[in-house]
Amino acid sequence: MLGENSHPASDFRVRSSASSKRWQAAVVAGLVFCSLVSLATTVGIIAMLIIESWGFFADDRIELWKFLTGTKWTVGQTQGELSYGIWPLLSGTLRITGIAMLIALPMGLVSAVYLSEYASNRTRSILKPTLEILAGIPTVVLGFFAVKFITPYLLGYLGDFKTFNATSAGIAVGILCLPLVTSLAEDALRAVPTRLREGAYGLGATRLEVTWKVVVPAALSGIISAFLLALARAIGETMVVALAAGSTPTFTLDPRLSSQTMTGFIVETFKSESVVPGTLGYFSIYAVAAVLFLITFGITLIGQIIRLRYREVYD
Amino acid sequence: MTKTDENMLAETTTSADEKPPTSTSAQSTAANDNQPEVVAIHIDNFNAFYGDFQAITDVNLKVPARKVTAFIGPSGCGKSTLLKWCNRMNDIVPIAHASGKLKVGDINVLDQKTDVVSLRRRVGMVFQKANPFPKSIYDNVAYGPRLHYKVSRNDLDDLVEWSLQKAALWSEVKDRLHKSALGLSGGQQQRLCIARAIAVGPEILLMDEPCSALDPASTARIEDLIFELRGQYTIVIVTHNMQQAARCSDRTAFFFEGKIVEEGATDQVFTRPQEQQTEDYVTGKFG
Amino acid sequence: MNSPLKQELEHRSEQGRTRLSGYFAVTCLLVSSLAIVILATLLFSILYTGGSWLNFDFLSGTHRENNPEESGIGQAIIGSLVICSICGLAALPIGVGTAIFLEEFQPRNRFLRMFHGLVQLNINNLAGVPSIVYGILGLTAFVYMFGAFNSIKVNDQPDYEFGTSYYYQVKTLGDTFVKFPARKEIHATFEIRNPIRADRANGESFLLKVFSRSDDEKKFENDRSSAVFRGVLANLETRDDQQIYVVQTMDGSEVTFPAQPSYSSFAKILEPIEVVGPDGESFQLNVLAKSDDVPSDEQLKARSVFADSPDPKRRSSASIFSEPTPLHFHLPFSKSVLSAGLTLALVILPIVIIASQEAIRGVPQTLREAAYGMGATRWQVVRGAVLPSATPGIMTGAILAMSRAVGEAAPLLAVMGGVLGTTTGLRSLMDKTPALPVTIFKWAGDENAGFENTSAAAIIVLLVFLLLMNSIAIYIRYRYESPATK
Repeated sequence: MLGENSHPASDFRVRSSASSKRWQAAVVAGLVFCSLVSLATTVGIIAMLIIESWGFFADDRIELWKFLTGTKWTVGQTQGELSYGIWPLLSGTLRITGIAMLIALPMGLVSAVYLSEYASNRTRSILKPTLEILAGIPTVVLGFFAVKFITPYLLGYLGDFKTFNATSAGIAVGILCLPLVTSLAEDALRAVPTRLREGAYGLGATRLEVTWKVVVPAALSGIISAFLLALARAIGETMVVALAAGSTPTFTLDPRLSSQTMTGFIVETFKSESVVPGTLGYFSIYAVAAVLFLITFGITLIGQIIRLRYREVYD
Repeated sequence: MTKTDENMLAETTTSADEKPPTSTSAQSTAANDNQPEVVAIHIDNFNAFYGDFQAITDVNLKVPARKVTAFIGPSGCGKSTLLKWCNRMNDIVPIAHASGKLKVGDINVLDQKTDVVSLRRRVGMVFQKANPFPKSIYDNVAYGPRLHYKVSRNDLDDLVEWSLQKAALWSEVKDRLHKSALGLSGGQQQRLCIARAIAVGPEILLMDEPCSALDPASTARIEDLIFELRGQYTIVIVTHNMQQAARCSDRTAFFFEGKIVEEGATDQVFTRPQEQQTEDYVTGKFG
Repeated sequence: MNSPLKQELEHRSEQGRTRLSGYFAVTCLLVSSLAIVILATLLFSILYTGGSWLNFDFLSGTHRENNPEESGIGQAIIGSLVICSICGLAALPIGVGTAIFLEEFQPRNRFLRMFHGLVQLNINNLAGVPSIVYGILGLTAFVYMFGAFNSIKVNDQPDYEFGTSYYYQVKTLGDTFVKFPARKEIHATFEIRNPIRADRANGESFLLKVFSRSDDEKKFENDRSSAVFRGVLANLETRDDQQIYVVQTMDGSEVTFPAQPSYSSFAKILEPIEVVGPDGESFQLNVLAKSDDVPSDEQLKARSVFADSPDPKRRSSASIFSEPTPLHFHLPFSKSVLSAGLTLALVILPIVIIASQEAIRGVPQTLREAAYGMGATRWQVVRGAVLPSATPGIMTGAILAMSRAVGEAAPLLAVMGGVLGTTTGLRSLMDKTPALPVTIFKWAGDENAGFENTSAAAIIVLLVFLLLMNSIAIYIRYRYESPATK
């Protein structure tokens, strides 16, 4: 009779579970180290921005107040008086972001509504991949498109636009944010339970009314968070503005003029390779980057919070 | 290997002669009852909780060695919870905790110092849904031995074949040992899971509704298999299916709302239940 | 019953409402289709501008200043591939490791739980940080390493270095080049080209700033006591048995810094030395005096130089160059492919982590139970059961993250500058290299006619790369989508 003693494994040498546990402890230490890398990245960014922009603000020529309120920026230019007001760069960023949002938010929301509420499977199977491809286009390619196509062939007929201007960069950034808004907003709309829609249809509402009076309000927090993430993306966008928006910081509302942004200034400085560590020009990169980081990080964080709260409602 | 084959054949035929799987024989149970009983799992004043919810209250039970014990009862009565505590599978659930005494052989299961790894080597488990790893059939069976033993390639080959034969799967898969296990049918996958559990060399096999996801033909094969393994392993099977419990178990424990209402020899529980609740349940009045 | 809504309802005809809804559906379709129009226009304009410029010479060539016809992207393609490999090798293990930690090792300990939550929150936020900020981080953390190593940087040679040898190279009278090995030594003078840490007479340590002589005076008027012009020479002196360099700042005050052996950029050749010729043979270099005649024999000419002299026509000065092996390595990483790859790894790390987490979450719980039930430790469960099931998902996510990295230009500009080509090509991880996105950016901004077309052609190549990577990702998803992972 075969009993348990006849089990072939009864002759084998048993691995000590202590050794596999020691091994596991080593692995866990390795995994914790991996997680520390991402944490260290954040700490590194914040520490770097504080330490190095300190080199800017500690300089005798710099007053924090003038940096925050000044409307002229000449850092990095070899000639002329030194002015270091952030507003030309900040307003450049805001102008371009504004134009981008004017395009991406309504278009993105309408596309999301269409995809989630109206589209047949056939149109969906065309629109979704298109948006995915558009989302995968590198930003430098969109910058090329802006400066070589949008400016000469689109804006050229509309008015007296400079070669490098805020509008064309804004349109390209808008195109870049469009897929992001669409997919995040669509996710939010799809998360709205079908029973809400059925309730409204049952009362005799048309599809338009169901969409705008029931579904969109129910998904509002998700949509807002999508808008905020797109906003942060547009503010941080670099290559499009570096190519299409020009390298002159201007403090104006005219969208036809060149407008250097915060990211544009940073890239311009790196591209010229004229900056030597330890100089004011070098430290100014960090000061501008600190402002940029504070704004985008703040917006992303708010977007996260809104999205988390929204998740709690539906799960 | 041929020697083992013969042995197995001999074993199978004798047990089949002695006791056809389809009829529950009172005489063999009675015969076993007369012998001094070896207790495999000893449960005393056992309570189990999920957070604040008490899933099991004051359970006392002695699971006899090398017999099949069935846990029956309606959903949520705590039978699966008790089964999972027997090899500490509830460790995965962060909010699960338990008190009382639960001993497997000489191992005090609930003691935090107990080595879960060697406990689980001695107490194997088969789950409700067949869950082969996305690897080859061979690697599935070899997974456990590789974890626990320092074993040569040849020994491992023998062990895999031995386990698959025990699980009555060898003849069906011997030509495709290195193909993905996911290509097997549901019933074959579940037998593979049994082979995988046997390969580690456990003394006890816990089966959590092993047939609930299978068609009747596959269910019958698994039941035959359980019957064949009886006598070599202590088997605890949780089932919803009362015919299954009646067909392949020696003893039955009826759970209701976290308590054992009745426990005894299977044919006694099914034909002459002592408690009203048991009778209602086995005759299909609720559950 | 008199409902207060009744009057309003009478004003709104049902047909009108239905028609309005229909109009809206059409508007929606039109707006959504704009995405297709945009994508088509974009692809068409790029194909139209660059398509005819694509040929083998373009794919294998390098950038030529003011000469778009002969410019190519050979170096840029190799550069992009190498950068992406480094990026993947760094980001993939760390990203997957973090994902495993977050998904499979959820701790019971309260402190570790907080750590866990912090890491998760942090990853979601990192995904929203602009890539240019990562670029600046890469510049600070990898290129300069927070200034930890550049207390003294002599002619950009780093302090901690191996895998390379330095030679002086000199042109003979026969217009061939010969070389001889360089040695580190303490030189009598030291040319200040980068900011360095220096000490004042009162013991105060400060960063000595460097300005160009062409800089506007206003830039440094407040820094006169702590700045010098680039190229100023410091003199070696021995004080208290220590060798130090002494230099005067702009306002004439004297500052010092310790002397360390270094290579100098140029070597004077005054007497015959052993050199290695272009064919690898060694010989004694023939050194002629200023007044000597140039030998007529070609063989001798190729073995002769003038000794160092003030006459620029009759002077041979040997300049330093390095011959790195493929293992060349130094700290800090400086502006190199390694810095670039690691920076991009930081950019895609959050994406890899999030994708891996999703893949791991998709592994059915029953598989984990099976492995636990057989007595596997947590890590054995992960390695034996979870990772094999999650691998296709992880690979798909990783490839998509890599396709993001391939197109990133801003971080590369920050850590390597706008490199368009190098004379030596890529010899080690410490070299700079052009990459496709940077090349596209620089060419798109080049005003010479024709670079617009090369830029578009390079975009086509980049898009083909992306298409390939995405196809691989789709193939993996399709090929390995097994029933167990659904």
